Amino acid sequence: MSIAEATTAPYSEMSDRELARAELTIARKYIGRFSWFMAVWGLGNLVCWLALWPLTLSGILPLWMAFPIATINVILCYLPSHEAQHTNFSTGGPALRWFNEFIGYVSTIPMVLPFKIARLTHMEHHSHTNDPELDPDYGVKADSWQQALLTAYKRRQPGQPNAYGETLNRLGDGPVVKRAGLEGAVQVLTFWAIISALAWSGHALEAAAIWWLPRYIGTFYISLYLSWAPHFPAPEQGRYRNTRHFTHPLGNILALGMEDHIIHHLHPAIPLDLNAAAYREMKPILDARGCRDERF
Amino acid sequence: MIRHILQALGPWGPVLFGFGFLAPLIATLLKDGGITPPLGLTPIQFGLILGPALGLSAKLRGRWI
Repeated sequence: MSIAEATTAPYSEMSDRELARAELTIARKYIGRFSWFMAVWGLGNLVCWLALWPLTLSGILPLWMAFPIATINVILCYLPSHEAQHTNFSTGGPALRWFNEFIGYVSTIPMVLPFKIARLTHMEHHSHTNDPELDPDYGVKADSWQQALLTAYKRRQPGQPNAYGETLNRLGDGPVVKRAGLEGAVQVLTFWAIISALAWSGHALEAAAIWWLPRYIGTFYISLYLSWAPHFPAPEQGRYRNTRHFTHPLGNILALGMEDHIIHHLHPAIPLDLNAAAYREMKPILDARGCRDERF
Repeated sequence: MIRHILQALGPWGPVLFGFGFLAPLIATLLKDGGITPPLGLTPIQFGLILGPALGLSAKLRGRWI
């Protein structure tokens, strides 16, 4: 029997403290579990993307086939790293910390997202969700998904301010920030060096079809579903209103599991693959809290 | 040190991209497409003109398209 079923008083009549206790009781059932699903996702996706290189360079796999696979790899590569940003692979103790950091660093190689920068800026996103000045992801705000794509395009044009760079500057000059900036610079420069070297050595089409274009397209998809959709229309701040539950017409898989993103903002230690179950169980409490449940 | 280098190179990113990646990509597309560049240029010569020119245009206009 769930907590919701066991509770006799309607949630709408509960005090703030009682609701918080009921919510936490449910959340604790899902927190702390090691997610094999996310670990296999992260490493399997990376291996698949890496395999595209020898397969195409040796002529076994045609480029027209490798391109959509690589694009899917980029789209899928962020979320395992996202779990690592929240140290969800090592909630059981420090013994798995190395594994957590490993997943965090390697899973986003296809999209060239430096792990430490991602972690620092993502924590700022959680701390200041929907704050126009302090939320690094606030720039994705748009009135529709079409506008969100256009906004994502405009943000990637030359000379546009880099929200993550600005966030690092705001966070100061401490060793963690410095290290993140250094690692990020090395990783991004390495990416450009590799694809330039590939292009000049006669593999320009492979570099474009497996890395450059998929990275570009994939980051649009990620921006739409991971940043824009869960917070749309991003007018409110506060624990229970800054993120919404939404129903996507094509389902939660194509939405990368983001229909239940409110669970992640309330309890980031719950692994992505358990968010939907936690949401179903927690829904009456979230309704009593006035949380948003909308359509895409 | 690295930060200073990046700050100096950053604004020229589109031009460097045009030289480092677009130029050989354009040359490859021309060769594979069987397209002869104008003015008797070789594919890579054409790429080395068009790639950085597109990058410079993007830098000056603030947008690629």
